[in-house]
Parts: sequence; C-alpha cells; structure tokens
Amino acid sequence: MFVSNSMVRKVITIDKEASVFEAHEKMTSNKIRHLPVVDGEKRLIGIVTDRDIRSALPFSLLKGREIGDEKSSCSAEEEKAKIAALKVKDIMTANPITISPMYTIQDALLMIQREKVGAFPVVDSDGTLTGILSVRDLLRAFINVLGINEPGTLVGILVEEKIGQLKKIVDAITEEQISFGSILVARHWEPNTRAVFTYLLTNNVMRVKKKLKSLGYTLLDPMEWYLDQLPKSDKN
Amino acid sequence: MRKTGYLHDMRYLLHDTGPYHPEMPERLIAIHNGIKDGGLLDHLTIIPASRAELKWIETVHDKNYIRRFEEICLCGHTTFEDQDNGICHDSYETAFLAVGGILDTIDMVMEGKIDNAFCAVRPPGHHAEQNKAMGFCYFNNVAIAARYLQMKWGINRVGIIDFDVHHGNGTQHIFETDPTVFYYSIHEHPSFAYPGTGREFENGAMEGKGFTKNSPVLPGQGDDIYKMLIERDLLPAFERFEPEIILVSTGFDAHKDDEMADISVTTEGFSWIMETIMKLGDTYSKGRVISVLEGGYCIPRLPELAKEHVQILLNV
Repeated sequence: MFVSNSMVRKVITIDKEASVFEAHEKMTSNKIRHLPVVDGEKRLIGIVTDRDIRSALPFSLLKGREIGDEKSSCSAEEEKAKIAALKVKDIMTANPITISPMYTIQDALLMIQREKVGAFPVVDSDGTLTGILSVRDLLRAFINVLGINEPGTLVGILVEEKIGQLKKIVDAITEEQISFGSILVARHWEPNTRAVFTYLLTNNVMRVKKKLKSLGYTLLDPMEWYLDQLPKSDKN
Repeated sequence: MRKTGYLHDMRYLLHDTGPYHPEMPERLIAIHNGIKDGGLLDHLTIIPASRAELKWIETVHDKNYIRRFEEICLCGHTTFEDQDNGICHDSYETAFLAVGGILDTIDMVMEGKIDNAFCAVRPPGHHAEQNKAMGFCYFNNVAIAARYLQMKWGINRVGIIDFDVHHGNGTQHIFETDPTVFYYSIHEHPSFAYPGTGREFENGAMEGKGFTKNSPVLPGQGDDIYKMLIERDLLPAFERFEPEIILVSTGFDAHKDDEMADISVTTEGFSWIMETIMKLGDTYSKGRVISVLEGGYCIPRLPELAKEHVQILLNV
C-alpha cells in the first residue's frame, strides 16, 4: 500500500512562466485539476489548481465568451490584456505540501483529510517530481480494497468486541467454500460491539446466513447500517 | 383467453447443481405442480424441449467458452469457473435443451400458433456473460433468444424486462452497445446483493446509450417501490422504444419469503408486475410476450407464483 504503487507517474506539468490561459487549456484537455509547476531540472516549485485559475479568470473568459458589451468595450480590452499577462507563477501555490513515494496510502488518506487538498505532488529525496497522487487515485485504490469490481454479496454481522470473533466467522464462511472479496470491521453504535462487513464472492448466501445465525450471530439489517457508524440519533 | 405456450420438459431436471444448492431441480417440480393443481394445464400448449443448434448459442457466446463448458461437464467436474456454478455430466446438454426449447417457443409465437409463453427452463441464464459462467448461469437464454428473433425473424426492436431480484449482468453487457435491444432490470441494489452491477448510472454505452435502464431497489422494500419504479422507469422507456416483442427474465426471488435476497414483493406484487408487462405487450408488441425462468428459490411459494404468472399470460 505505498504511494508509489498508486500514483500517476506520467505527470503533466507546467512552466512557471506559462500563461494562465495555457494552464487552463492543459487542465481542460487532459481532464485534470492539478498541475505541478517544475523548473528545468524537474524540481517541484509549486502547484496550480483549477480553483486558482477560476479565481484568476473572470467567468466569461473561462467559458470562452467575449468580455463586457459594446458600451464598455474599451475597459474590457484592458481587462483582457491584464489577464493575458498573468502567469502561472502569479497564481500558483509555491512550496506545496508534498509526499514521498514511500508514504503509505493510509498516510496519504489521513493527510488529505487534514490538509483539505485534492492531490499531492510526489517528490523523491532530492526534490524531483516523480508522480502525483489525487483523491481519484485513492478512490481507485479503495474500490480495489473493497473488492466491489467483482460480483458478490455483502453480509453484515454484529459481533462482540473480543478476541477470536473474526476467526469464527471466517471459518464458518470458509466451510461453505465461499471466497472473500473483502472484510471490513467497523465500529458500531452499541458499546462493546463491532460490525463486520464481509463481501462474499458468491450469489449463494442463503445457507451461510442461516449458519451464522445458528452460531449465535446477529445479521445486521442492511437498511440499518452504514460503513461510517455513528450512534443512533433516537437514543439521545 | 389467450393462447399460451408452456415450455415444460422433465429433462430440465437433469442439471444437478450438487447438494444444498438453491438452484435445484425441485424448483421446476414446484412450478409445474402449481400450474397443474391450478387446473391450467388443459388451457396451455405444452412445448417439449429440443436441442438448440450450436450456431445460435454462438451468436452470444465464444466458441472457446462453449467448448470449455462441454469439457468440464464431460470430465465429471462438479463446478464450472466458480464455486457458485454447480454442474454435473448432463448440465451441458440440459443447457442446450433450455435454449432449444426457447427458440422453438419463439417460432410458435412468430408463426402465430400461440400468443405468448412461459418457458420453465433450467439452468437459468441472465448472469452468463459472453465468455463466463456466473451465478448459476451458463448460456444466456434470453440473450440468445433476442439474437434469434433478430436474425431469424427480422425483429428490429427487442425489449427485455428482467425482474429477477439480481441484476442480469450478462444480458446487460451483451447488449450494452446495441440500440436494437432495450434491457430493463429491476433488482435489489448492487451494494447489497449479487452481482454488484445494475447501478442507476449504468445506462448503456456508445450507440447503445439510453437503451439500458436499471432500477435498483433498497433492501426491505416491496410492492410499493416496485410499482413506483416500474411506472417511473420502465413505462416511459418502452413508450419511446416500442418493442416489437417482449422477452421477460422472470425471477421469483424478490418474494418476501425468498431468502436469497432482502426484497419483500408479495405474490400480488408479482401479479401486478406481470399484468403491467402484458399491457405493454398489448400496446406495443401485438401481445407477444415470452417469459423465461431465471431465479426463485422459495420452494413453498413457487407453486402459487407460477400459477398466478401463467394465469396472467392466459388472461383467465
């Protein structure tokens, strides 16, 4: 689970002297929202995002329309010239937060949550840009972890929070010759309980559900749970 | 009363999925008993199974896949490609009989000998992909039927309605880019149920964009939501598409007593669905509705469900 395995390696970058228009064009045509700014040696010096561009360009220019109307065409021309002179270095974030290729995906997730950014440039120890990791790449990694690209059925099981519970569940399911797409353990609103979400790569969950019930487990009502469990509001 | 065909053959019991498998031969016995005990047999045109020609199966499935399936069955294996797919020596032949029976049924409908039909076949088909067996399905019966209608009978627009509780991934994928086949499915939401496809945003690709429609249903929901979604999603879609014939992937596993999934449709709810499909058939397709069995695993409920289903086809 290292960033180096999930990042995009062929990074589309831009020069700090490039115009904001060029940056905008590069983002639109490549359907991306972050452009690392590099010097001649591929060393990272900044990042420009679609939000930086949006703030810098008036709406009408972004949409390719003419600025202003006939009455104020003179000031519109001036405005246009001013914007055309704007360069990437004027609007970029210099020295952005970066991560190393040896950071884990977990590091990146926690950092994205803390820093509230959409992507991290990935740089090696001498400051050379080696990749970029965006929220999109993290999502892809988690779709993979959840196993939901493969056909299966989700079964939620409520268990007591004590050692050995998961083993019993895994054994019971394995005895039915069912393979796992993923197993997630989440906190539950009841004290001392955990919610175990097994994604089973089968259409046939009838027997295994009965078996789990006969072993004394409570199956979670699929309409009652969510992966991010919070206390039930009606308990307040 | 309409002239209704009933594809029924004891040879469909020969496909043995192994011990404790829900897709068991007893399902067809329960279905037949429901139809027989309901006194409907005399009104039906019984159609026996026949072996399909390989060329029709090849309109949907890869040659290599078909050969692989044959070999695995003849070698005496008990599963094919996935633990879910229980098989026996006779499964390959039974799958040919299922397709062949359905194609004969199509001929009878197109020749005007019958108005509509219920094909009580095993194995089911809607999970089967071009190149992969999935979810108890080997040959995609309904997909092959649609191709046959186009190639042999020159039908330009085939409408498929799939109300099995699981999404028919195979059928959707086979016709995803094809604007001549409209695939509509209502099923338990794929975040909870097999096979994990059939989300609302899946609506076809390329030229087929807009010719696939999915109505996922959340666990615990029943008749009301089914009614609402079918009226909201299916009716306007078929009004635009005007299918010349309707193929139905009939699954009874959305029933509230069926433990394969978490949906709670009642027997009356299933009747409403089928009556609605018949109205669509009368409006757009000259009454040509061919229902093909997919899932449905609650043996005690299958007789009444099958009886009601056939009564609606017969219009009695």
